[in-house]
Amino acid sequence: MDLFNDLALGFSVALVPVNLLYGFLGVLLGTMIGVLPGLGPVATISILLPFTFGLQPQAALIMLAGIYYGAQYGGSTTAILVNLPGESSSVITAIDGNQMARKGQAGLALATAALASFLAGTFATLVIALAAPTLAEVALQFGPADYFSLMVFGLVAAVILAHGSVLKAIGMIVAGMLLGTVGIDVNTSVPRFTFGIPQFGDGMDFAVIAMGIFGIGETIVNLERTGATRVYMQKIKSLWPSLQDLRAMLPPAIRGTLLGSALGVLPGGGPVLASFSAYVLEKKLSRHPENFGKGAIEGVAGPEAANNGAAQTSFIPLLTLGLPSNAVMALMIGALMMQGLHPGPQLMRDKPELFWGLVASMWTGNLMLVILNLPLVGMWAKMLTMPYRFLYPAILIICCVGVYSINNSALDVLIAALFGFVGYLLYRLQCEPAPLLLGFILGPLIEENLRRALVISHGDPLVLVQRPISLTFLALTAVLVVVLCAPMIRSTRDKVFAEESS
Amino acid sequence: MKLRLSTDLVTGLLFTALGAFAIIYGSRYPLGTAARMGPGYFPFVISVSLTLIGLVLVIRSFFIDGEKLGVIGWRPLLFVLAGTLAFGIFIDRLGLLVAGILLIVAARCADRDFKLVETLVLAATLVALTGAVFIYGLSLPIKMIRF
Repeated sequence: MDLFNDLALGFSVALVPVNLLYGFLGVLLGTMIGVLPGLGPVATISILLPFTFGLQPQAALIMLAGIYYGAQYGGSTTAILVNLPGESSSVITAIDGNQMARKGQAGLALATAALASFLAGTFATLVIALAAPTLAEVALQFGPADYFSLMVFGLVAAVILAHGSVLKAIGMIVAGMLLGTVGIDVNTSVPRFTFGIPQFGDGMDFAVIAMGIFGIGETIVNLERTGATRVYMQKIKSLWPSLQDLRAMLPPAIRGTLLGSALGVLPGGGPVLASFSAYVLEKKLSRHPENFGKGAIEGVAGPEAANNGAAQTSFIPLLTLGLPSNAVMALMIGALMMQGLHPGPQLMRDKPELFWGLVASMWTGNLMLVILNLPLVGMWAKMLTMPYRFLYPAILIICCVGVYSINNSALDVLIAALFGFVGYLLYRLQCEPAPLLLGFILGPLIEENLRRALVISHGDPLVLVQRPISLTFLALTAVLVVVLCAPMIRSTRDKVFAEESS
Repeated sequence: MKLRLSTDLVTGLLFTALGAFAIIYGSRYPLGTAARMGPGYFPFVISVSLTLIGLVLVIRSFFIDGEKLGVIGWRPLLFVLAGTLAFGIFIDRLGLLVAGILLIVAARCADRDFKLVETLVLAATLVALTGAVFIYGLSLPIKMIRF
């Protein structure tokens, strides 16, 4: 059986001691940074990215994935213990998780989160193993026109889920695409927007932008918030759930797993959407919906399973199509490119050990997460009480050294400082930086594929609607645009009318 | 009377300015035709879109009351950026020891409860730790001290 052989190959890679070690380090560091209040997965991965530079692609990828799960789990820990969700996907966990903690059930809530995440992780790994090869097979048929339409679809889908103003989100994507054009044009070798600086010839470095915005920019934002967060918490006792607790958490965890794994695949989807939907679902199904918001164990198990399932299946579009479906995946694609790897259907064909090694390491990573976190939860809780005045200088120096070490370039550090300012500005202007990153990653791919498609069709733009795959994606994009515009127009009109009548 | 700018207006102005700049600066790159796009084609389309989005935001901000821009905390902004810039300027010339200490001292000035001794101890510890991890652990080519 193919699947069995593939998975065996994967585990033979993932279980190599060195890879296990890097996976473990990733999970450990990811949890450590992710636990800190205010630092979500995107910030955590940006900060820890430099640690993977010196590694082999295989180990780097495994470590990055470990960092991601660790950061996810760390965020949930913070949400439960101190009600300070570091990321939008654990906002939901904070609702009931923190209430459980206040009732003295912090241990139970943490164990629920860990076990539900593990269940979801195991299932989602299987989904990837089953679905990815088929999807990659299909993706091998994709021509440039199809890729163009797919990526436009991915960008538009990302806008739907951005919080806040749709117009700003679109603007951020376009601005990101503009940043992506910096560098020597691949087709004609004309340097574009390089301002005579030779270093810009290869384009802006993705990691420099990410670390500038998320490492340096967020530090400024956090420092500015006055009345610094007072962290207080209770003793954690009785970590292990009773049989009765297990019975209560299992059905919601299974439902969350299924829902999350499905939603994670969608472009623009991901952990946030998944955990939110799972919470709503559990509340609808519950016989005691009035308990939600007051420490219902279902309100922790469902969303936690869902966000972990989605975190994992969002690797599917990345690994099979080369399409990052959210900001974390945009970081992953950036990190892969720095290793000289181009995610897409060819990756699985040309480097099966890399692909299957990653899949297998997802499962070992999730297992480590449980093993690591249940005993170490006391230590994470201590991390939470560490004063911010010791923390942010550490974050800054890691970012600076990390940015410098990408190309041994001091100029990169100055550019990162500039993007730190940009990150701060975006926060003040209430613009989400994530779409900027997606645009930056996808912009050059969109241009490249569009130009190639038009060369192949001898300049006939109809090629975009003549190929069935491309047409499908464009049609889906059109549907999304309609969905997107309908409420916007209505609400704008409502506001205008409201003003007129008053 | 204190004029408070809405975030929509400022964002719109920034988008418009960036877009307009890219249109003008990018006009030196050949556009080509839609069939055979030159290096300037795609940037042109994007810059025009960005400018338009910016203009819509600006115009809209006059009709809809959006969120207002809050007060900017200059202290963290200036000191964190100054520290990062100092690191970038001195890392090649003087090495990690000096650049790192400068960064951390500047960064700690961004906070209100600055204590000199504590900051120096923190700076020494962090520089030693990052040096150990990045230079010796990951063997990245960074110099501790350079003249």
